[in-house]
Order: sequence, then structure tokens, then C-alpha cells
Amino acid sequence: MSQVTRRFDFEVDAVAGDARTGTLRIGSQELATPNLFPVLNFYGGGTERSVFGGGIHRTIKEFMIGADRIGGGDYSEYFDCTMTSVASLTDYNITHERYQSYLDTPIKERELFEPYNGTLFVDSGGFKFLDGGDIDGSDFEVDIDQEKIYEIQKKMGADIILNLDHPIAPDDSHEQRMEKAEKTALNIAEFLDLSSDFDGARYLTLHGYNYSMMDAFLEKITSIVDTREIHEAFDGVALGSLVPKKDNRELLIQAVTDCQEVLQDWGFDDMPLHVLGISSRAVPLLAALGVDSFDASSYLHNAINGKYYKSMMESVPISEVSFENCDCPVCSSELHRQRMRGDAEYQKDIYGAVAVHNLIIQKQELATIRDRIRAEGTAPLREYIESTVARDKQTRQVAHKVVNQSLGGYFQ
Amino acid sequence: MKKAPKVNEVNEFLEIASDFEDPLEVIRESLSNSYDAEASEIEITIRSRPQGSDIIIEDDGNGMNERDLESFFDLGNSQKTDSIGYKGHGTKIFYKSDRIVVNTAKNGVNRRAVMDNPWEKLNRQELPEYELTKADVRDENQGTRIKITNFRSGEGFDPESLTYNKIHHYLKWKTIAGSTAHFFEDNPREMDIRVDLGEEIDDTRDELVTTSRLEFPDEQLEPSDDEFPAERMCKHYEPREIEVEYDGGMTTVQIVGMVGGKAARNELPTHGRHSVQFGVWFAKDHIKVEQINETISHDNEFIHFFFIVNCQDLELSANRETIRNKSNPVFRAVRDEVEFYMSKVTQDPWFKNYLEIRREGKLKRRARTQESSLQDRRKSVTERERFEPSNRAEVLLAVERASQQQAGFSLQVEDYQPDADIQAIVRHQGKLRNAAIHHQLTEHFKNESPLEHIDLIIYWEQGDPTKLNEVERTGYIGGEIEIDHDSGSITYQRDGDSSYIELLSLTDVFKPKTKAIADD
Ligand SMILES: [Zn+2]
Repeated sequence: MSQVTRRFDFEVDAVAGDARTGTLRIGSQELATPNLFPVLNFYGGGTERSVFGGGIHRTIKEFMIGADRIGGGDYSEYFDCTMTSVASLTDYNITHERYQSYLDTPIKERELFEPYNGTLFVDSGGFKFLDGGDIDGSDFEVDIDQEKIYEIQKKMGADIILNLDHPIAPDDSHEQRMEKAEKTALNIAEFLDLSSDFDGARYLTLHGYNYSMMDAFLEKITSIVDTREIHEAFDGVALGSLVPKKDNRELLIQAVTDCQEVLQDWGFDDMPLHVLGISSRAVPLLAALGVDSFDASSYLHNAINGKYYKSMMESVPISEVSFENCDCPVCSSELHRQRMRGDAEYQKDIYGAVAVHNLIIQKQELATIRDRIRAEGTAPLREYIESTVARDKQTRQVAHKVVNQSLGGYFQ
Repeated sequence: MKKAPKVNEVNEFLEIASDFEDPLEVIRESLSNSYDAEASEIEITIRSRPQGSDIIIEDDGNGMNERDLESFFDLGNSQKTDSIGYKGHGTKIFYKSDRIVVNTAKNGVNRRAVMDNPWEKLNRQELPEYELTKADVRDENQGTRIKITNFRSGEGFDPESLTYNKIHHYLKWKTIAGSTAHFFEDNPREMDIRVDLGEEIDDTRDELVTTSRLEFPDEQLEPSDDEFPAERMCKHYEPREIEVEYDGGMTTVQIVGMVGGKAARNELPTHGRHSVQFGVWFAKDHIKVEQINETISHDNEFIHFFFIVNCQDLELSANRETIRNKSNPVFRAVRDEVEFYMSKVTQDPWFKNYLEIRREGKLKRRARTQESSLQDRRKSVTERERFEPSNRAEVLLAVERASQQQAGFSLQVEDYQPDADIQAIVRHQGKLRNAAIHHQLTEHFKNESPLEHIDLIIYWEQGDPTKLNEVERTGYIGGEIEIDHDSGSITYQRDGDSSYIELLSLTDVFKPKTKAIADD
């Protein structure tokens, strides 16, 4: 049997308690972890000339490629990775023709996106298509199933892909969860078949709020797909279904802690762990627990709501910001300061600039977190958490919990 | 024209001296003075006298020169207002007496100051004077001896209420003798303090000897294996110095403390109102001033904690019992920082484990109580001759049992809601009937349960017959009631409506049927 040369590789460079920093390698790309994948709609209903449109997404993409419309500049370091969803294609009323022509060329191979070379993670969009989600693909005359999803992921030129999953909801019964696990398992079987020659990374979706739920999920999956096959075929694990619980920090921490334990017991703990749809305040804590990547659209949603990040922990209304305290390239530009103050023809240029600033703040904090993990011992990361998340009364207790659990505690 | 406000010096002395009621405050002031004089041994003697109490404080400190003596007797010329409260005021408490004699040796000179009848003179609006004499002594002779004769305590204060226990407690909680400074200093100064009370005050022991340090009970991180496994557990939280930034500056907070069970806390030198002494204390000069237990989140009982938070930027009230600058940014910043620190302590895995061990101990004790009560119950089951319900649910069991065992008894419980007025719906001879279930029939009337919708009352026994008679005599919920024990029924009439309720006593069902013996 010949060994297939894997394009994917995950290497841990340093650890601090349970936290780790490492490098994800996909082909020639390298991505430092822990890292945050900003959620972005590459397709927003428009044409190539409008960077394929998308309102605020359009402005963000213009930043990503340093377009003239935003006054140029190099923002590529903040787009070293992005997350998009197959479902984004359906957010706009796309015709079948346009759908086909859009998928003609992979995103990163388009001339337009030439300056962009970040790691592209393409979600399956299961949460939108399935189980009461409001989209079925009929807009563009496509029946959504695992095969179609994979085809789209591939055509978009994804570096990391997920199988089509059936996320659970907080009030699902055990039977409903098992049903979803079974459907997901069938998709996984098909996904592994279809994508056997995929040259990026394949992530396995995992759903549940605690050890027993995730364990039952994996039991169900492995009753249909062989455990060894899963272990050999998948490159990473993506923990899902937490978005409805994102404000319940206690549960979030519990879920991630239990997830690590499940992965360990199933022998999957050598794979990188991605947590779907969670960011901001939870990030330092999840990173401390050993999560390797996150994705979130909060940078953008907060911008749309007029919120400007002062740090990962604190945002202020955009109208109260003087921009002098931030030296990011957005705030340093007179053009963007003007736009953020409201002097712009389009809302998307006001909020797009704020969104990119917000993203930069999050990216910078993640860089700090990586540095702290690389530093000697657990104290640097502990001190970071002590001075950020733990200073917030709502997150104080869980912050202490994480410090005690994964960074050696305060009183050793 | 400028005019300076005038001060009546005599009244000033009177007022300050009146702020102090407790002879223990004399001790507090003296100890602080001795500490400042770098004394290492202090002896305090208190005797009860007809007019008040005699108090003698003797130390081996540096002694006083003339200027120090002036400070001792004068008002307001102390340079030490930055120390505990206002030091210049403290010694004025001595004026509440008939005579003050100070003997103090410094640099080869002994100074003796005598003030006669200070209290009486002040009350006559006369400023008392002291007579100063000097004599040479050897250079090595150092120290101060202060004798206060007939110290007047506050209204209703009896010097005989002092005990060694009370003094010990006071020393450790309110004076420099309970200082936690030694946790933070590399070479902390130490004092040995001896207190000698006259036999007429407390004859339980000869003297009390203690130091100028507050020590915590020894650590015991692991539970014991007795009935209260967490009771002696104790963890020290090492001294920490934290810089606190506030609007307008920086200050330093020194925190040290312990967490522990009751037995560990009992080893602290405290007595009396034990519970109110724990929690988090603000301190100045490392002497506890005021509690800030609200810095421990509400779900944690403050009683497990004993923390001392020292901050020299706290300002104290004149009598040193409270913090004066609570509305200042510095106080608020310090309090927030303490709250943050305490949140880490309450989340400390050791503390969580300690609480868990307490909880497990409690459950174990409960299981033991359960066991003994189960033993009692099993014994009474074994000893009794027949099934005997003692509550409503067991009455239902009796119904089921009777249906199985007694020929001709047919009653099935179809529905049971323990909280409803009419607890059950039963099938009786093929028909559904609304039934009230009671252990004793009298309960129905005691509960004032309505009778209108009841077909049947099932009970084990009748209860006190006089209670039933009273119900018949006085009526029931605005109606007339008649209980017919022979036919087993109740007739109830109210507002022209009449209800007929059948009574079913299970005692009768279970009673072994005695056959009539023919008398032939
Ligand atoms: Zn900025």
C-alpha cells in the first residue's frame, strides 16, 4: 500500500497548561494557531466588478484585497484565514446560471482575489439547509445533499472542509439527537467516499453540550463508519451546535472541556480542534483550554450595530470614538476615520471600516495569546486572562475556572 | 479684620477623653506607644479599685525625652497623625483618672511626670498641670512606666467585667498585638506582652502572655477521617502585595488570610461573638478596623474566610473604629481589587474541594441518621401484630390490601392527587366515586375541607370522638352536620342543599371478625 502524501499537517510548537500554539500547514500555506477565522460571504449576489457584492461583506473583501475603493493598503495579514459557508451562496437570490458561472473558478484563483492567499475554511452550511433551516437550495435549482455540498466546497477552492452535518438544538430530545447523529453519520460515510482525493484538510463535525452527548454522538457515527477510518481520514475536529449557547459561558467551557476529554478517550486528541461560531470574550478562555481555531462573524455584526472594539472585552458606540488610541491601519487612515465618523456615501463603507478595525483588534489579541503561550510557563497566559476576561464580572467565575482547570490555578 | 476661632482647651480635653469609654482602649494606646518606642517587653497590670481601676503599663522601649512627654500630655502637637488614627489624641484617655505618673528613662536621664486629679480639674474647667523632675540613671536603663490611678471607665463599665479571655481577644483583634505586619516584613519587630489582672478581676490564671503577631492556625489541607472531616481543614493564602491604580494615584494593598473549618477557626485567639469576627477585614497599620464581607460573593458563607487587607491609604475615624474615606476613589478601587482577589479565592479548587468534603460529611451524617431511624421503623414493623397505617399513603395501601385479602371488599383507587382537597377517585362496586382519604376522620374537619363534592371518606381510624361531637354541635362551614356512626354516613345541609357522604373505616375492615358465640 502506498502512502498518500498528505498536504495537511498540524504541529504544536509550544504549550502552556492545556493551551497550545502551533502551525496548521495545508500545502504551501502556514497558519499560526490559535487563530480566528473571520466569517465572510465571498459571494454577495453581485458581479466581479463589485467584488461579487454583499453590502458590508463587499467592503470587507475590498480591504482584504486592498482595493482602490477603500484607498488601497495591505490588510492581508488580518486575512490569513477566512471562513465562509456553502450556505452563503443562498443568502442572495441567485439564478442557476449565475450560480454555475460563479463556481467556475475557485475563489483564490480569481484574478480579482489575487492578493488574497489566506486559509479558506468552507462550512457545509448544515445549520441553514437542514432540520428546519430556512433554505433548501431551490432558489438556484440545486438539491442540497452531501454530494452537492462537497462539489461546491471543492469548486470554491476550500482548504478546509466539513461534512454536511445536522446540528442539534438546545431542546432536542435524546431521540432527536440520535436521529441527527445518524443522518450526519450517513453523510460522513458519503463525504469520505467523495472526498478521498481532496487535497486540503477534512474536519469532522461533533455535536453535544457535554461528554455523554458527544460520546453518544460518536457512538452513533462509529456504528456506521469505522472508527479507524474516521481517525485516518479526518484531519481535525469541529465542535458545533454551541452558537445558541454562546452567552452561557459556563456551558461553553464545560462543552469544550468535555470535548477534549471525549477526543482523548476516542484517540482523536492529536487533531486540531475548531469551535464553530464562537468568538470575542470566550476566545482567551477557549484558547486556554486548548482550542486551536475559532470562527465568528461578531466583528461584523457588532460593527453593523455601531460597536467599535476597544479590546476583545470591551466595545463602545462608534459615535463616541476618537480613533486616536488605535494605531491599526484603518484608524490610522484619514479616509477611514472620516467614513467611520459617518461621512460616507454608503453605510457599508462606514460599518465595513469599523468591522475591519474590530477584526484587527481580535487578530492582535490572538497574536498576544500566542505569544503568551510561547512564553515560559503558564504565568504569562494566566496573567493575560487575569487582566482581561477575569476583570469582567459576568465572565469572572468561568475565567477563574479555566485558570484553575488548565493553567495551574492562582494559589499553587 | 481677621479673627481666629477660639478653642476652649479644657473642653477639648474633656471631649476627647470622653470619646474613650473602655479601659481596653488605654491598653491599645499604650501598646502602640510602646511599639513606636521599639519595646520588646511590655507588662500591663490592672487592679480594680473603689473609684475605678489602677492601670500600670511598663515597657523596655527607648523611653521619652521632654518633647515626647509633652506630646504625651499635650493636645495636637503630635507629629504622628499619619499613624493609627490620631496618635496625639490616644493618650488623652489617661486624663479620666485621679493621678497619672510617668517614669521614663532615656539616654541616662530618668524623667518623672506627675499629674494629680486631672479628671476632677478638667471637670472644674481647670487645665491640669504636671510636675516634671529629672534624675540621672545608667545609660542601659531604658523604658517607660505609666501608672494611672482610679481610671474612670465609661458609664456602666465595670472593670471587673474584664477577663483574661476578653483582654486576649481584644489584644489580638484590635491592637498592635494582633498585627499581621510580620507576614510582609523581612525582619518584623516582636513584642512579648504580659497582662496581669488583679484577683478581684479574674482569678482563673496568673497572667496572660502573648506576642505582637496574629498567627493563623496550622495548615491542614487534607480532610480528617472523623465525623466532621472538613472541620479542621485549613489553608493559608500567602501574603500578597497588589498595586492598585485609582483615579488620582496608586496605592498598595497587602492581603493575607486563611480559609478553614470551625475547629481551625477556633484556634484563633477569639471568643464570644465568634461568627462576626470572620470574613474580610480592612486594616491600617495591620490592625483590623472594619469588615467588608460583601467582597465575598453572596453564595459563599463568609464565615469560612479570614482575610486581612491592609492599606495605609485608608483613613480612620477619631476613635479608630471605622474607615472615614469610604467615598474616595481610593477606597472604591481598593474594595474592587479585594473583591477580585476574593473571587479567585472562592474559585480556588482547594476551597471548592473543602466545601465538597463538608457536603459529603453532611450527607454521610444524614445517611447515619437515616440508618438509625430505619432501624427504629423496622423494629416497630416487626413488633406490631397487624398492618397499621400512619399516614394517608399507607391508608391507600390498606385499601389495596383489603381488596386483595378481604372477601367481599371491592374498592380500587383509580386516581390519587395528594395535594387536592379530595385526594382520590375510586371505583367502588363498579361506580367512580370522589373520595377523601385520611389517616383520622377528624383531619377532614380540622383542614376545613369542603364536603359538597365528596361521595366517600376513607380513613383508618376515627380520631378523637369529642372533636367530631364539637363539629356536630357547632356546625361546619356554615352548615348543619350529622355523623351517623352506626350506618357509617354523614349528612350535611347548607343553604337548603343536602349532601350524603359515606364513611369507610378501614380499621373495621381489618378487624378480625369475631363470631358470635351461641349462648346455648
Ligand atoms: Zn483601529
